[in-house]
Amino acid sequence: MSNHYIEVKDLKKYFQTPGGNLHAVDGVNFTIGKGKTIGVVGESGCGKSTTGRLMTMLLEPTAGEIYFDGKDITKLTNTEMVEYRKKIQIIFQDPFSSLNPRKTVFHSIAEPLEIHKVYPKKAEKENKVYELMELVGLSERFVNSYPHELDGGRRQRIGIARALALNPEFIVCDEPVSALDVSIQAQILNLLKKLQLQFGYTYMFITHDLSVVKHFSEEIMVMYLGQMVEKAPVKELFANPRHPYTRALLSAIPVPNLKKKKERILLQGEITSPINPKNECRFAARCSFATEKCREEVPEITDLGGGHTVRCLRIHEI
Amino acid sequence: MQKKLLEIKDLTIKFHTDDGVVEAVNKVNLTVHEGETLGIVGETGAGKTTTALGIMGLVDCPPGRIEGGSILLDDRDILRLNEEEYRKLRGKDISMIFQDPMTALNPVFTVVDQIAEVIANHQQLGEKEAEKKAIEMLELVRIPAERAYEYPHQFSGGMKQRVVIAIALACNPRLLIADEPTTALDVTIQAQVLELMKDLKTRSKTSMMLITHDLGVVSEICDQVAIMYAGEIVESGSLEDIFENPLHPYTNGLFGSIPDIDKEVEFLSPIEGLVPDPSDLPKGCKFHPRCKYAQHLCSIEEPVFQETSPGHYAKCFVYEGKLPVKEVKKYE
Repeated sequence: MSNHYIEVKDLKKYFQTPGGNLHAVDGVNFTIGKGKTIGVVGESGCGKSTTGRLMTMLLEPTAGEIYFDGKDITKLTNTEMVEYRKKIQIIFQDPFSSLNPRKTVFHSIAEPLEIHKVYPKKAEKENKVYELMELVGLSERFVNSYPHELDGGRRQRIGIARALALNPEFIVCDEPVSALDVSIQAQILNLLKKLQLQFGYTYMFITHDLSVVKHFSEEIMVMYLGQMVEKAPVKELFANPRHPYTRALLSAIPVPNLKKKKERILLQGEITSPINPKNECRFAARCSFATEKCREEVPEITDLGGGHTVRCLRIHEI
Repeated sequence: MQKKLLEIKDLTIKFHTDDGVVEAVNKVNLTVHEGETLGIVGETGAGKTTTALGIMGLVDCPPGRIEGGSILLDDRDILRLNEEEYRKLRGKDISMIFQDPMTALNPVFTVVDQIAEVIANHQQLGEKEAEKKAIEMLELVRIPAERAYEYPHQFSGGMKQRVVIAIALACNPRLLIADEPTTALDVTIQAQVLELMKDLKTRSKTSMMLITHDLGVVSEICDQVAIMYAGEIVESGSLEDIFENPLHPYTNGLFGSIPDIDKEVEFLSPIEGLVPDPSDLPKGCKFHPRCKYAQHLCSIEEPVFQETSPGHYAKCFVYEGKLPVKEVKKYE
């Protein structure tokens, strides 16, 4: 039992592939306080979206526990899970493919309400849909439009309205703004922030863009090939990144400012295969600090205090 | 003063569709000097890619049509070329890197074949020689020669984009158009590709036109910047002009929309509203429905694209002295 609102212990997800076991998520631990946001950052294939799907139980974990308000949701039966699905929602990355093209805006937003039979009276349901549309900044005139008639920003607002329909407590935002233009991105980010302040939602914010999570979360977890490599409170992570991968990731972001040009750490090579990974530090092949020892074992997590944890063997040397 | 390589004058491209005329590019003026990199920044539907396709002579016709203007390459209007002459130009004098490396390559040919194709077409070389040169190109983009006979699906995204770059550079083009070359890539891979492009640029002195929506990428690699909105250039100038002293309200809005990694802010200051539908553009200044400073004048008359300081242009009534505002506030 713990006093954390959400606690994830040793979460694992392996996929069986013809080539072997694909370690998509390999032993991830974290906690989130109520009303707080954790940012999950990493590149393609690091397992961040899989983690998000595991949190919502859209995928069943291979091993590990997910405590939601003290209850392990991985052990629930399907009927018990129905109740939890109302509390845990997800906003998907691509507003172009996550909406049913044959459903109008009204039906898309009303669908979760209908499935969970929240409003038996039609008028109440309608009111709720209009209320949600207003909340996410969708004008009423779109109520009978189909997704193809709307632009990306508006579609993402539908996705958000759907996620909010059942008054959730915890929302997984899986790259909610990556497919959108910058000016629209900022609108959606502000909206999500406003909703959190208003309703006290807890967010897990998955993204590849460090500047987006910086603005958004209290804590950041950096993932690489299915494993957490570094986790720290936002300010600490940006001021004092310890893992070589986090450092490279931070330095790789092109900053739109001419005066603050940073020294860039260029990583060698590309991400290695997550299928049957060797018993070594997963980042060793690209790491400029790697030694023989790094290729012999998977490093343990070192706690640096103040909530800052790092998975690196040479943490005290570099 | 450097020599002008490419000069676009009043380029207008329209698409005639069943739902009406889409005004994708409206009277765009751009200049690229020799050895210079011009960044074109804008959001989806701003007309960046259409402008690039216009230069390449690749606008689908119908429904697209270049309705006016000229594109001068070394003072020769390439819009007057016939298809045969254009073919000789494309890939040799001007070449293009496409946005999505996953779809830009042909899946049934080995990468070396795809690079050799361009070389053989433009340089009258035999098969063997073209292949040898293709392998040299691969090594130039830092792909080991032993992987030359593999197929695109055996390559990762970053490597595919390197192959696309190798194809584009194979004949030493004088102008390279890169359309969002790193958008589909991860940040650490993006950093590698940008580094490679910078290196190749300094080595071969190729002029470049970089199309992107990412102001961060622009600040890394460009010398000149043009900001596009709704088919028009709203501001252009040197990198310093745009980043240190942005004039147009849209440019300022763009900067305000980006979460700054070095700043603490609760809320971002986005541009309200949406990019207008190019088949139904607003009258007057195209940006006025979203502009904080808009007055009645902005909705009836179109501002002039004018020089505010040497080399720095903006298209806004503020700089014609016709609005009560003295200047557009810099984003914070």
